Amino acid sequence: MNIDLLYKIESVAELQGHEERTWHVSWNPTKPLLASCSADKSVRLYAYSELTESCDPKFSHITSIPTGHSKTVRALAWAPSGKTFATASFDSNIGIWEQEATSDYEGDDVSGGEWECASLLEGHETECKSVAYSSSGTLLASCSRDKTVWVWEVHPDSDFECMGVLMDHTQDVKCVAWHPTEEILASASYDDSIKLYIDDPSDDWFCFTTLTGHTSTVWSICFAPSGNYLVSGSDDCTVRIWKRVSEHQWECVSVLEGHERSVYSVSWGVGKGDVEGGLGWVASTGSDGRINVWELSESSDMSANAPPKNKLIARISSAHGVNDVNTVVWCPRPGYEEFLATGGDDATAKVWKVVKA
Amino acid sequence: MPGEIFNANPTVYAPSKPYTRKSHLDSGRSLWMGDVQDEEDDSDIEPIDQDEIFDLIRSIYDPEHPNTLEELRVVSAPQIKVSENRIFVEFTPTVPHCGMSTLIGLSIRVRLLRSLPDRFKVDIRVKPGSHQSEHAVNKQLNDKERVAAALENPTLLDTLEQTLADVGRRGRSGETISLSLT
Repeated sequence: MNIDLLYKIESVAELQGHEERTWHVSWNPTKPLLASCSADKSVRLYAYSELTESCDPKFSHITSIPTGHSKTVRALAWAPSGKTFATASFDSNIGIWEQEATSDYEGDDVSGGEWECASLLEGHETECKSVAYSSSGTLLASCSRDKTVWVWEVHPDSDFECMGVLMDHTQDVKCVAWHPTEEILASASYDDSIKLYIDDPSDDWFCFTTLTGHTSTVWSICFAPSGNYLVSGSDDCTVRIWKRVSEHQWECVSVLEGHERSVYSVSWGVGKGDVEGGLGWVASTGSDGRINVWELSESSDMSANAPPKNKLIARISSAHGVNDVNTVVWCPRPGYEEFLATGGDDATAKVWKVVKA
Repeated sequence: MPGEIFNANPTVYAPSKPYTRKSHLDSGRSLWMGDVQDEEDDSDIEPIDQDEIFDLIRSIYDPEHPNTLEELRVVSAPQIKVSENRIFVEFTPTVPHCGMSTLIGLSIRVRLLRSLPDRFKVDIRVKPGSHQSEHAVNKQLNDKERVAAALENPTLLDTLEQTLADVGRRGRSGETISLSLT
């Protein structure tokens, strides 16, 4: 299937080492570090050389963290500071990981001391599926097959206080994601819906809207960098774009097709496009082993629920050979907007770059 | 689960003749358990047909009876479809309220996961109209995350292993196996 597209997806690095399927990868937002987690219960950290005009970053494995989780590590998320990350495990716990201070540890040294479990958040009754820090880093959200979403407040010294247990979903909650600037939380579920929550200053966190439209499990959600859109990927093989049409109202405005099996992961990055009214690049992947990249841009129609323009700009099949691809994530660091990382059932993590064809 | 029998008196059917084609899947797990890269020649992939898939799952035991899925007609060759890299298995619970259906489906999935090359994507469904919670059973069986988590549950895994104890018979009786070994 060779359709002419504006961009192509080139391989940058293939990172081996996990013993079982790689479930998730996460880019450190401030330092040249990439983390991956796996069914083998470990987290692997890779450092990369900074990008230069003539040279792509080179990735090298720096450490493996056994984690101590007794089951699969399903997901991980870096705090905005880049100094802490959280793990979500099928053992129903959330781990908080910090690097041990070394005598002269200061600034950007990525090797530094050992990574240690600074805190273990217990509360979920069954497998944790996802974890996410809010943009300010003061809140952490987690979700589980126990149908709940928990919001935790991050205190100094790795102390966490549960601010709310949201029980609005009727099934397994697969993914949580925060708005890029505001304290709006989104969750996606096996009950086919997406829910959005905010904090009522005089009361508790509550679900202010439920987004329906997907006809099967919603596996993944991600807000657009602008904060005015949300993308979701589902077992119904579609990717949907939801638009904020008023402060607390979100509507499905586009359904993107281009996958033949479950879509397991979506990511919305700022992209490197030069299109007018650009909203960035959406990447999606899943059980069909394919990575699709769409360029989104504002419609000329100014009405509130006008769909953005979308154009498939790059695609690669069999990204992890014959295997499922479980996760795709854009690098959030300035200067790296065209870099993607993926993790697959072949136990590898891979890094890609999207370049003009 | 213990104590409650969903179908106390299932009809037991005589198994059909064992499949006789010499299957490369028979040459043991080792060939397929390892990395696909280990295969000597990728171009030499033999097509796998529905009879071979049936052969792999026919001797799975029903979780609540000493009978195989073939004997209870829970699985049959015509209910299996094989295309290039996809396998579709439909099964028929013995009763529409069968609380064991998810477990049966999981046994089939695990058996195929352990026997087939990575390149196959497997979809498993109950026969339309054969189960009162058809949608829920199908959804759970095809959610890879739920399946992965289930396989990390020691109690469940133990039950699964029991249903898979004699899958190697591929439709042959115990006596036939011992005869062929002497």
